[in-house]
Amino acid sequence: MLCRVADDIFWMSRYVERAIAVGRLIDVTWHLELDAGELVDAGRAFWMPLLGLSRDGSELADDAPAVPRDVRHFLSLDLNNPNSLVSCVRSARAAAQHVRDSISSEMWEQINALYLSLIAPQFSQDVDQDPHAFYRRVREGAQFFQGLAESTLAHDEPWNFVCLGTYLERADNVARLLELQAHLLNADASAAGDAAVRWLAVLRSCGSAEAYARYYSLRVEPARVVEFLLLNPVFPQSVRFSLAAARSALTSVASAAGTAPNSSTMLRMGRLCARLETTAVDEVLEEGLRMFLWDVHGRIDDVAEQITRTYLRDEARPSHVVGVDRAALIMAAQQQQQQQQ
Amino acid sequence: MASNPRVARAPEGNPLLEYETGGFWDEMFDAAESPRSHYAALAGQLATLSSTEVARRQAAADHSFRGQGITFAVNQDPNGIEKILPFDLIPRLLLPEEWRRIERGLEQRVRALNLFLADVYHEQRILADGVIDPELVLGSRGYRRELHGLNVPLGVYTHIVGSDLVRDASGELFVLEDNLRTPSGVSYLIENRRVLKRTWPQLFEGYDVRPVEGYPQSLLEVLRAIAPEPEDPTVVLLTPGIFNSAYFEHAFLAKAMGIEMVQGQDLFVDDGNVFMHTTRGRKRIDVIYRRVDDDFLDPLSFRSDSILGVAGLMAAYRLGRVSLANSVGTGVADDKAIYACVPRIIRYYLGEDPILPNVQTYLPVDADDRAYVLDHLDELVVKSVNESGGYGMLIGPHATQSERDEFALLIRANPRGFIAQPTLALSRHPCWVDDHFEGRHVDLRPFVLFGREVVVTPGGLTRVAIRRGSLVVNSSQGGGSKDTWVLAETGPQRAGR
Repeated sequence: MLCRVADDIFWMSRYVERAIAVGRLIDVTWHLELDAGELVDAGRAFWMPLLGLSRDGSELADDAPAVPRDVRHFLSLDLNNPNSLVSCVRSARAAAQHVRDSISSEMWEQINALYLSLIAPQFSQDVDQDPHAFYRRVREGAQFFQGLAESTLAHDEPWNFVCLGTYLERADNVARLLELQAHLLNADASAAGDAAVRWLAVLRSCGSAEAYARYYSLRVEPARVVEFLLLNPVFPQSVRFSLAAARSALTSVASAAGTAPNSSTMLRMGRLCARLETTAVDEVLEEGLRMFLWDVHGRIDDVAEQITRTYLRDEARPSHVVGVDRAALIMAAQQQQQQQQ
Repeated sequence: MASNPRVARAPEGNPLLEYETGGFWDEMFDAAESPRSHYAALAGQLATLSSTEVARRQAAADHSFRGQGITFAVNQDPNGIEKILPFDLIPRLLLPEEWRRIERGLEQRVRALNLFLADVYHEQRILADGVIDPELVLGSRGYRRELHGLNVPLGVYTHIVGSDLVRDASGELFVLEDNLRTPSGVSYLIENRRVLKRTWPQLFEGYDVRPVEGYPQSLLEVLRAIAPEPEDPTVVLLTPGIFNSAYFEHAFLAKAMGIEMVQGQDLFVDDGNVFMHTTRGRKRIDVIYRRVDDDFLDPLSFRSDSILGVAGLMAAYRLGRVSLANSVGTGVADDKAIYACVPRIIRYYLGEDPILPNVQTYLPVDADDRAYVLDHLDELVVKSVNESGGYGMLIGPHATQSERDEFALLIRANPRGFIAQPTLALSRHPCWVDDHFEGRHVDLRPFVLFGREVVVTPGGLTRVAIRRGSLVVNSSQGGGSKDTWVLAETGPQRAGR
């Protein structure tokens, strides 16, 4: 499979997944604001933190919206915001268009139809008049696309890059959401009632409230929510599950490409998964949720970078032997040092 | 009145009632304004419909094209409008006997043109024998000295050909031009059929239409047949990329053939072989179906500013490590001045009379022709020999005096650069315009494949000049298209499809 095609499929899948995450987050925040009733600051407390989600944080300085409605539009419709809902769908569609010979016609037609529905003139009215229906429609459109990928692509290389993109992106998104809410863990006791509602909203924004309820049959408690979204091994919205799925896709990619199982990409992926598999929630909180999540982010970015260099750019690959050679050099250097001492 | 089926069977609001042939040769109606016999069933279908019904189907078809993203980009605006090629619902029908003649005529033409190409890139007998002025061939912009003496697989240069046929006021078919470089439009030929079947299946009742779906497989067979290594060759399609107006077609064909669609950046040449970057490392390529013009193929051999091509590709090609379809250098044979010589070319190589006639063509490079052309600019169509897509053209009767004066200057300055032809009263076909039928001028572009044998796909792209009275059918000039039915030999009586 062509590197350029793999690259586009990887990013197409990431953008579709990102669109789902952004849409869900806005929808949930909207509900949260409604639940809160009449607000002193007109809901700014709910919406402003969402701007912190923007990935580089840079474009917020000058023209950052200050009114909830504007924030919502900025996150939904603004084509100058590369991570707005519409931008995500547009980027996904552009990538799909580049590889429309490599994906199924159904997939292309679905992402194209979704994009065309978003740029239709009546669309920005829908956002204000019937926001819930609107966000739901977009989310379902994106999920339908994912379902089509699952059922119309042969589960070989292109599919592996779909999974890799989708699950890495999901792990990243869920980690970001948790990061956004991490401050709630330190909220004082008087605000505890509110905090429970917020944590429930966090679950909902990951589409996880029902699963959580089934899993714990207990009231929403911050530590359990963190455990569920971060460390649950079987729920597909958890960071751990997503990374395990990404790892499995990467293993297939690597074995098809004839890359050694101990290539640096696979090693980093394995370490990242191990970090989530071998850490308990109390250890996470002891370390500090933010610190833990920053670490996870850094590692996800690192793995994505490695994948890009190895599979999406066809850069010259350091072979396994390079690692062994390096080990020999290190050993020699250490012996020299010992002799000097 | 009862003798006219359009009137006899028409309910209120029958959209065909108002139709007028306007004195042109009409594909659907004869001079007495009755449907031609093979169109009778179709006219009957249309007669049962109201205008709103036709409009509804037209909207459904347009929606289908847009939803599938069957669009082309005319302006290179990254955010911008992608246009659908206007599609007209009413199919154009061709009788089996007429199609047989077209098929034989095109095969004859393509065989002769390939013998001509092999000759001008080897012995140049036709020039030595004085049949064609060497200056016309060797001075053509499409002639590639780099190709001289090179043997191409199977001796075939033009694996994919799209020739444009037109019908004049008498109903006679002519070849207007041959496209021997990278002809496009075949995806529309196939998609038009699919969309029409989906949006208006009833139209097919009572007709036995020959299928066109086989084209991609036939094309793949041709591409595999020209591989340097016959064992399981790797075939790719080279596209200039997403901003090319035919990008949809490139993706369509690559997908239908199950081959990779690559861009210049995906390929590289190493030690005389062509490779692509893949997730599994480099992979060697045997055959390139290139939809990139000669000029842009290899920055080392041709235009050095090209970023669409692959450095070193021509070297690999000359070594025979990779095959190209179409071959490099075929442009010399679709130079419009060489077009004028095709009847001579057919006689010279095959010893046969042309089955399909050429349109009368004047070459201003000849002094007598030039004098005639300059005297009759108000009657003639003048075309630049190196342009295609309807650019660089003067339609004398529709032009202003100053436009004609401008062309007169151009022709005097560069007589080799132009040809002139009488303005043909192209045949017309009923088309759906806003809320009623109107006649529009049409042509026909069938597609010819040539590998081990010549295969003409039974159908073609009927292109429509959308603007009233316009004679220009090119999609880049706002032309549209129709589904084109070649009727099976059994005739229109056999039911079902």
